Amino acid sequence: MTDIDLNYDVLVIGAGVVGCAIARELARHKKTGGERLRVAVVDKEPDVSLGTSSRNSAVVHSGINYAPGTERAVLDVKGNAMMDKLCGELKVPIKRIGKLTVALTEGDLPGLHKQKNQGEANGVPGMELMDNAKMQTIQPGIEGILGLWTPTSAIISSFGLTIALAENAHANGVDFHLNYAVKSIARPGKPGDPFEVRSADGRTCRSALVVNAAGLHCDEVSAMVGITNVKIWACRGEYYVLDKRLDGTLKTLIYPVPGPNDPGLGIHLTPTVDGNILIGPSAVYIPEEDREDYRATSAIMADLRREGLRLLPDLAASDFIRSFAGNRPKQTPPEKGGNADFVIEETSVPGFIHLLGIESPGLTSSPAIALKVKDMIVKHIPLTERTDFVAERPGFIGTFSELPLEQRMDLIKTEPEYGEIICRCEQITKKEIRQAIENPLGVRTMASIKYRARAQMGRCQGGFCTPRIVRMLRDEYGYRPEDFFVRGGAPMFAGNVRSEKGGDAR
Amino acid sequence: MSASKVIERDLVVIGGGPAGLAAAIAAKEAGCDVVLIERDRILGGILNQCIHDGFGLHRFGEALSGPEYAGRFIAQLKGLDVPVLQNTIVLNLSSDRKLLVSRMGELTEIHAKAIVLAMGCRERTRGALSIPGHRPSGVYTAGAAQNFVNMENIMPGKRVCILGSGDIGLIMARRMTLEGAKVEAVFELLPWSSGLPRNIRQCLVDYGIPLYLSTTVVNISGMGRLEGITVATVDDKRQPVAGTEKFFPCDTLLLSVGLIPENELAREAGVALSPITGGALVDADCMTSIPGVFSCGNALHVHDLVDRVSEEAERAGRAAAAFVAGKLSSGGTGVSILPGSGVRYVMPDHMTIPENPEETTLAFRVTTPKRDGVVRAAAGDTILKEEKHPRLHPAEMVWMRLSVEALRELKKSGKALEVSAS
Amino acid sequence: MSENRIKGEFTCVVCPNGCFIEAEYLEGGSEGPKLLSLAGNQCKRGETWVRQEIETPMRTISTSVPVHGGDFLLASVRTAEPIPLAKVQDVMAEIRKTSLNAPLSIGQVVLKNPAGTETEIIVTRNVAAAG
Repeated sequence: MTDIDLNYDVLVIGAGVVGCAIARELARHKKTGGERLRVAVVDKEPDVSLGTSSRNSAVVHSGINYAPGTERAVLDVKGNAMMDKLCGELKVPIKRIGKLTVALTEGDLPGLHKQKNQGEANGVPGMELMDNAKMQTIQPGIEGILGLWTPTSAIISSFGLTIALAENAHANGVDFHLNYAVKSIARPGKPGDPFEVRSADGRTCRSALVVNAAGLHCDEVSAMVGITNVKIWACRGEYYVLDKRLDGTLKTLIYPVPGPNDPGLGIHLTPTVDGNILIGPSAVYIPEEDREDYRATSAIMADLRREGLRLLPDLAASDFIRSFAGNRPKQTPPEKGGNADFVIEETSVPGFIHLLGIESPGLTSSPAIALKVKDMIVKHIPLTERTDFVAERPGFIGTFSELPLEQRMDLIKTEPEYGEIICRCEQITKKEIRQAIENPLGVRTMASIKYRARAQMGRCQGGFCTPRIVRMLRDEYGYRPEDFFVRGGAPMFAGNVRSEKGGDAR
Repeated sequence: MSASKVIERDLVVIGGGPAGLAAAIAAKEAGCDVVLIERDRILGGILNQCIHDGFGLHRFGEALSGPEYAGRFIAQLKGLDVPVLQNTIVLNLSSDRKLLVSRMGELTEIHAKAIVLAMGCRERTRGALSIPGHRPSGVYTAGAAQNFVNMENIMPGKRVCILGSGDIGLIMARRMTLEGAKVEAVFELLPWSSGLPRNIRQCLVDYGIPLYLSTTVVNISGMGRLEGITVATVDDKRQPVAGTEKFFPCDTLLLSVGLIPENELAREAGVALSPITGGALVDADCMTSIPGVFSCGNALHVHDLVDRVSEEAERAGRAAAAFVAGKLSSGGTGVSILPGSGVRYVMPDHMTIPENPEETTLAFRVTTPKRDGVVRAAAGDTILKEEKHPRLHPAEMVWMRLSVEALRELKKSGKALEVSAS
Repeated sequence: MSENRIKGEFTCVVCPNGCFIEAEYLEGGSEGPKLLSLAGNQCKRGETWVRQEIETPMRTISTSVPVHGGDFLLASVRTAEPIPLAKVQDVMAEIRKTSLNAPLSIGQVVLKNPAGTETEIIVTRNVAAAG
């Protein structure tokens, strides 16, 4: 491994949506006085967004679920309001499809009213109570006696946002050190001297300030500076992804009224910005040693299938194209359940800021969390906005096949590779694959290409495109069989069938 | 659609695999102007990676490899000067037979008088099976692994388990063994193999690879690369039996668990599809519910023998040419053809019987294996044809010819045709 | 050496019918295996097949050979005629030592009499020179 020894003003641990949002927010600034603010993000994975940020319902929440005055309530409503501008700049798909929280019985009504009252106290805009007839105008066929409509609820690409934040931060000067599993954090000199953040493979970064945005591992990272009174439990949520055949079935987000001690928001259907539907998530605490155990379990898979069939009677077996799981970092132990508020604070160790228990609504809150963290940093390093910050990601970013025909025809003329389809199910072109391969962070696992270009996400799950992407990486980028990884630690191949040299050529 | 560049064609064949090749050749020989569209860089489709022998026993009386079998048709197609668009994919098909076609540097609209759908099939994946466990690398569909080994010179892994005894899985068991991998076992959910008997013998028995029937994978282990699988025997409802779990260490799991006709284009165009086969509902000319749109090969229903694909596709190609020439008598659904007891589905789904019918062929699959079985085609109580089969097996498609006399009798009866097996 | 009476089950692979044949035979005799009875074959070729399966099972094998300068990395190859099953690994070992130069056409001979089997290894895929 390259022996790096770099000096930073701020080092962010964790390249999830929160870490990347902080990095991008910091990238907007320079030190007051003109000097560059040196910022780095480190993550143990070979790419950004491989943890909870790519494993969730990808919903932007309105803010009705959280007790007034809590960090979650304040940051969610604020973050929600920031999303349109942010997604516009970063070219991230977001759809404001709204949400109906539905009371099915009289017994659900108190819970529903509580949500409305919370929403009012939290400043959630546009809320409306709807009777069944009114709900039909939004989602035909919906059942329930009363619904709470929150028009600011939205769906978004969660990994798309994380990648965009990271790439834009990088374009504005933030360093990303990936495969950087933090092993120790020390401050060898006196308080005020830089922290030394060492990786498992022997690299060291020095930084005046450290922001712990390590998600499922935030307590472990805090323990490295001696903060041992915080604790995280992982709570797994399993999902199914449904075929795009059902695209358009759901016009909005539909949630049940949550119970007081539910660890999540209940199993439900969520449309995605790409046109799939998710069924999930379950909520099961998992053993401590396995915080990143994303296994699918037969009992929950059966539950989800049953629930899916109840909600979508037209569902066929072939519509279940994939399952996945994501783990929530919880501050509440299994015996307690429920949720605790986000902890975002500068700790008893000066210069060490930690973010604990950023589960839902972490995605929605991320831009607001970034502002809050920036304000904490300003107390140490006075900052001024840069005039040369480039907020927009350059070029065309999006799904080519979703463009109008005439525009596609024009683009193909200048970029012929937009005509060649590599991923058949999602109609992803060679040009889009190439852009994903040549991403600014220089990450080239199969998962990286998948999250950037959507290839392998369709109904054939890569059966068609994986060999084509492999061929492209081999023939055009010089990959050997041992260079291919799905993710970190997940090699794809054992080697060549035959030595490429063979025996004597005849 | 409003593309700036529009091309008019008589017949477009979508897919350059065995079905598309045979359909294009038959149509061209019938005097039709035809263009063939293939998404890959070469013609031949899946045959290119099927380097094992056994193709063409019916048609050529020889046991050819897949590329050789395809090669004969490709040579014939070239001899007929049929234009071929390679590296070209159809993005969209409309109900009025307009195609949006994409290739390097070009997006084109083609208007066709007739279309043959010959897109083949795709493999069922882990997602559709809902196998619990982790998501390590090393889990491949058998066909994807076959592509890596035979086309790209890449070994997916060294210690292999196979779920599903479909033919591709069996073939890959032998292929990986010959290239130095250790194939631990093949597991099949059903109490019988879904592969051809010859492949059980030559691919498993020859190499001492055990086949476990009524067994399935209940867990996949490995956070990075696959480390092993847990299998369990299943009861007669195909549910795993507690206490029968067994762990097999392996770095590779191949899935050979069924094929799904590729019909997204057909569905978008509004072609009526069969919930049983996943393919189009067609008449005896392979014409779908949209006049002028035909379907054949594995896009229509999954075949066991390529020879039969060629035969069926030639029928579709000839019919498409006749349609273009205005000589295909169509209209009305005519006689319904129904699967009776012991039969899963019958192809075609319906047919119109003209005044002077020609002999026709029914293709179907039985639901369970039978020794000394009988297959029967009947109209009400009238048996039109009965055949004895020493062995009937769901893995093997049954082809039954109906004579002119039988068809006349069927027409006279005014009843549906029912095919059953006992 | 004692003779064993064996009941065996065979799947004939000569044609796509794949006849399921039950046969009884003696093994271990001085004159080699001896077929006693068989049932289930639809034609005479089934009997020939079973005799061969008892005495010397024969198989066609298919594999690949690396190609230099072609539009494919591998050329698929097979034995032109079936070879004894017992010789499969020896033939594979010889093929494994081989490589080819593009262009190649179907039927081209790669090896003659591999591992003493009286057949040839032939190319089964056309491989054009890389363009």
